[in-house]
Amino acid sequence: MANVPASGEAILQVRNLVKDFGGVRAVDHCSLEVGAGAITGLIGPNGAGKTTLFNLVSGALPPTAGRIVFDGRRIDGMGLHQTFGRGLVRTFQIPREMKRMTVLENLMLPPGGQLGERLWASWFLPWQIKRQERRIETAALEVLEFVRLAHLADEYAGNLSGGQKKLLELARTLMAEPKMVLLDEPAAGVNRTLLRDLSDSILAASVERGITFIIIEHDMQFVMRMCDPVIVMANGAVIAEGTPAQVQQNPEVLEAYLGGTVQGGAVNGGAVQGGAAVGAA
Amino acid sequence: MDVIGIFNYGVGFVIMAGIYAIFALGLNIHWGFTGLFNIGIAGFFALGAYTAALLTTQPPDPAQFEDFRFGGNWSEIGYLDLGFDLWFFLGIAAAAVVCGVIALVIGYVTLRLRDDYLAIATLGIAETVRLFFLNEKWVANGSKGLYRIPEFLGHVVSPENYDYLYLAVVLAALGVVFLAAQRAVQSPWGRVLRGIREDETAAAASGKDVFRFKLQAFILGAVIMGIGGALFAHHIRFLSPLTFDPLLATFVIWAMLMVGGSGNNRGAVLGAFVVWGIWTGTQFLPGFFADPNLRFFMIGVLIVAAILLRPGGILGETRRIARGADRE
Ligand SMILES: Nc1ncnc2c1ncn2[C@@H]1O[C@H](COP(=O)(O)OP(=O)(O)OP(=O)(O)O)[C@@H](O)[C@H]1O
Ligand SMILES: [Mg+2]
Repeated sequence: MANVPASGEAILQVRNLVKDFGGVRAVDHCSLEVGAGAITGLIGPNGAGKTTLFNLVSGALPPTAGRIVFDGRRIDGMGLHQTFGRGLVRTFQIPREMKRMTVLENLMLPPGGQLGERLWASWFLPWQIKRQERRIETAALEVLEFVRLAHLADEYAGNLSGGQKKLLELARTLMAEPKMVLLDEPAAGVNRTLLRDLSDSILAASVERGITFIIIEHDMQFVMRMCDPVIVMANGAVIAEGTPAQVQQNPEVLEAYLGGTVQGGAVNGGAVQGGAAVGAA
Repeated sequence: MDVIGIFNYGVGFVIMAGIYAIFALGLNIHWGFTGLFNIGIAGFFALGAYTAALLTTQPPDPAQFEDFRFGGNWSEIGYLDLGFDLWFFLGIAAAAVVCGVIALVIGYVTLRLRDDYLAIATLGIAETVRLFFLNEKWVANGSKGLYRIPEFLGHVVSPENYDYLYLAVVLAALGVVFLAAQRAVQSPWGRVLRGIREDETAAAASGKDVFRFKLQAFILGAVIMGIGGALFAHHIRFLSPLTFDPLLATFVIWAMLMVGGSGNNRGAVLGAFVVWGIWTGTQFLPGFFADPNLRFFMIGVLIVAAILLRPGGILGETRRIARGADRE
């Protein structure tokens, strides 16, 4: 953990975070810092604890021990909607769309401060609500345009393909006004051309809107192109951190991917492919 | 039956179906939109009915009690002094408030927990309410029941024509409840409820305080049921704990929602009329077929058939199509 992120000061600090599931310690005294405005990559073999770390940071699960500070405030112990309220938005590795709601409705849910979410307002201020709805709808259609799902706006979200659902996850984060976005494998199942556009838009959001990203991704090409720094997790803890190139050459990282863990075999392909991708780049 | 007889029967039918439609709308808020599994509707039904009845009934006159007249023990019936002779609308409002407060308490305790706990708690409250009114005789005369429940504006219309007046009252109440429910579920508030129904975690990840919205929905549904109970009390004008049989006060309402279309308020109202029509219609079947148990069985078959043939109910939930500036 020698490398301090180059850009800005830490917006997220995780200290000695622990998460036990019964006898399994999924996150084991994990500590890391994420610089404001950076796009940080989070990689590691299957079962390393990456998704669990996201669950802890976003408040989807309570930590067993440790502390999490986001934007100057402790957020461990907060629930999902509370971290959302502080500007921390996450996607799910396995998409969680609202199946029997349209794609557009899925996107009209996140914006904060909606008057119409108050029951009394729904009865007594229908016109104000309608006006606000039109604004939110326009914003949602723009985001849909952006992720190339506009033609599916009125389709039930449950009817989307796997890749389209991943795009909807990403679109949902764009509908919020986040300070930091946690993306759990956004590239999985998304086709190459579209992926390039998505990368560009993530970069744009980072540069233009100053949004901080942490991206879990097994697609090394994507990570190498997008992320700096890269944090490597294995067995629930951070084992390396640095620029993509530094991380690639770190012997501990290679060890974690090639040997070590039980699921190592399954990850070999990924690591090798990653190496090849860097070689090609 | 002559024409007038059939007409009057129809009026009575619409009154009851209308009251049931109000319950179906309440259940629709719970289950249809939010996914809250309330299997103790009878509890809110009874609470609403008893609250309105007790508040609007005159304090009892001991001479009127059979127990007293036929040499009953006065020290026992002496407790029986509830009855506040309040205005009809105050009774309805109180019924709504009492159900809302009970829902607040149950919801506050159970809605953070797994879904099953709410189901168990609603079942528990239904039984608790029933036993309370059965055993605490001083409140509502126990199993002998509460009678003398006044008619609303009973002195204005002659008794033969009273049902027409009450029909108007029930339809007006149904209209107000329908509009309120419809506005609520079509607003962003309703969108949050549907989001919670579909996936609580996703709703929370979209920034919604799931517990708060579930609690609000649970209270609103219970308030609607309280109003339904109050209207029922003034229609039947006699309440005993046996009135709130789970079959007729919980199961039938579920049948109405499932048959009519969960997640669609029009479907809930339609389902109430259809199922109540089948329920009351089958009593005219000859002999053996009019047996109540058989009729319940038929309702059960109807639900299964509805679920198999039309899983969404007759009307079902409609997809909400965007108005979209460019599409207008
Ligand atoms: N809810 C849970 N209950 C029990 N064990 C869990 C739970 N969630 C995760 N785990 C365990 O915690 C460990 C870390 O899982 P996690 O999902 O965080 O891995 P990951 O790094 O995201 O892997 P992948 O790259 O495959 O997504 C695994 O051993 C997993 O089995
Ligand atoms: Mg994962």
